[in-house]
Amino acid sequence: MRLSQYWAEAFAVLAANRTRTLLTAIGLIIGVMAVISIQVLGVGMAGAVTGVLSIINDNTFFVTPNQQQTDFTRAAIKLSDLQRAKDEVPNVVAAIPGGGQTLRARYGHKTTRVSLGAGTEERFAATTPIRYGRKLTPEDIDNARHVVVVSDKAAEKLGITGDPTGTSVRVGEHRYTIVGLLGKSNEGILAGPQVVDLSIPYSTYEREYARGRLILFARVLMADPSQVIKTEADMQAWLSKVKGGRVEYQTFDRKTIAKSIDGVFGVMTFVVALIGAVSLLVAGIGILNIMLVSVAERTREIGLRKAIGATRFQVLLQFFIEALALSAFGCLVGMVLGIAIGATINSLLIVKLSGIVAPIPWLRSIVIATGFATIVTVAFGTYPAWRAATLDPIEALRYE
Amino acid sequence: MNSLQSAIDVRDVTKTYDLGDVKVEALRGVSFTIDRGEYVAIMGPSGSGKSTLMNLLGCLDRPTQGHYLLDGTDVSTLSDDELAHIRLKKLGFVFQGFNLLARTSAMKNVALPLFYAGLGTRARNGMAAEQLREVGLGDRMDHKPSELSGGQQQRVAIARALVNDPAVVLADEPTGNLDSQTSEEIMGLFHQLNDGGRTIIMVTHDEDVASHAKRIIRVRDGRIVDDQPTGRG
Repeated sequence: MRLSQYWAEAFAVLAANRTRTLLTAIGLIIGVMAVISIQVLGVGMAGAVTGVLSIINDNTFFVTPNQQQTDFTRAAIKLSDLQRAKDEVPNVVAAIPGGGQTLRARYGHKTTRVSLGAGTEERFAATTPIRYGRKLTPEDIDNARHVVVVSDKAAEKLGITGDPTGTSVRVGEHRYTIVGLLGKSNEGILAGPQVVDLSIPYSTYEREYARGRLILFARVLMADPSQVIKTEADMQAWLSKVKGGRVEYQTFDRKTIAKSIDGVFGVMTFVVALIGAVSLLVAGIGILNIMLVSVAERTREIGLRKAIGATRFQVLLQFFIEALALSAFGCLVGMVLGIAIGATINSLLIVKLSGIVAPIPWLRSIVIATGFATIVTVAFGTYPAWRAATLDPIEALRYE
Repeated sequence: MNSLQSAIDVRDVTKTYDLGDVKVEALRGVSFTIDRGEYVAIMGPSGSGKSTLMNLLGCLDRPTQGHYLLDGTDVSTLSDDELAHIRLKKLGFVFQGFNLLARTSAMKNVALPLFYAGLGTRARNGMAAEQLREVGLGDRMDHKPSELSGGQQQRVAIARALVNDPAVVLADEPTGNLDSQTSEEIMGLFHQLNDGGRTIIMVTHDEDVASHAKRIIRVRDGRIVDDQPTGRG
């Protein structure tokens, strides 16, 4: 049994019927291409979003009233609640209002709207690098100083060039001295609660902006990040107790957010890959169809081969390998296109937007796509080959 | 007569086709032997059972009853794949319509049986080339069937039938698609092969063609009605 001969023969037949080969392979090409590129994009996007989350510090989590509960207003968090938390919940260093407010800011002669939020000292702050000056210090917090750290986007909006430290920016009625300018943030497509234009010490923020306002969510800073699960539970229970019970709170940390995002992208990728799989199934039916046509057209040839001594298995092998060769061609072209499309979109869109290069599981995507295509080919290629193998040589030789 | 000495030994063979409502008796008890080196024509009008007989002799079909010994082997009860093996080793077929693979060179067409016999490319090509030279097509080896005349195509087919050194060559109306002059050439080739010791069985309805054989078996209504030497040879 010389398999290489069968393959050579099969490719010769495919080459002799170029148009037909190409048309039949298109289904497979599209299917394989779709499955590979979609998997790559799914993983790339999930990776990008997860990567973006790394700007959230491990020693920080978020707490918010559970939005499904009936007594939502009773569950609302007040500033006074947060200020008590650090004394009553173990491992909590501070609980501060999250998010920010959009306000008018003026720098030099330029006036624009910026978001202002409660900033924390450096060890709890976002991992965004600093370009000029420094991040907030415990002294800034303790003394509720009128200082501000400016994000690179805010710098652009306010027309800040060069090192702005020592100059001041006016927000509403207050004037803040710029102590630091952040570098490029990899917040990317995820404008998270961490990301505000101007960060002032949270003590200053609480005094001047948070009092009497509704706090939608709070940032909780921990002394020991390894206790995150327990601290989250403690915080939820404590808030519930403070509010008189029967109210619920949710917490999010970097890991839980990443996990839920991974889950969402996982489902999306799976569903779209399933559609790709269906298209491969359709391509398989195309192969079935064209192989049946091929067997019918070559009935006399099959009769001859059997007459001169080909066994059923040898005939089966010939047509089976022909289907496999067709599939191999489709898979190869689909693979090249899938990789090209996946890589292009990943680098032009996802990496560009997020600034994060997620590790793409190329091999896995390729194995899944071509593996499924091969399974489909085997499933649909066997029947025509079996038909050819079981033809009666007398009938086949007489076939016109 | 010792059956081992006969190339073909057919004993009380019947063939009945069961078409549901009706049973068609294509062969109703046929017995004959063909010795090695014979050149036999089987003749008969259409419906006489000569095609059925040819299919049985060619191991493409099995008798309903009776025995058929080919080159000493009883092939009456073999499985499909065992019959394929017998065809591969002991028979060479020449068809009316040549049945060459269109996109394939003369040499590869001739080498095809050797592929199924499991020979390597080099051995196949060597043997095919030699066989083509023997039928006078040494200079046409790389030509495709469409680039050859009808007579040349039949020569390729004959080379293919001979390449596995069969015990018996079966020719089914080998000149049916050829003009009379080319037919004579092909008949000449058969003579030459027979002179070289090949056993040849030819089915035809053409008396002129049949007259080239050394013996004619006439079939009618599923029975042998006449079995005579032609006086040739």
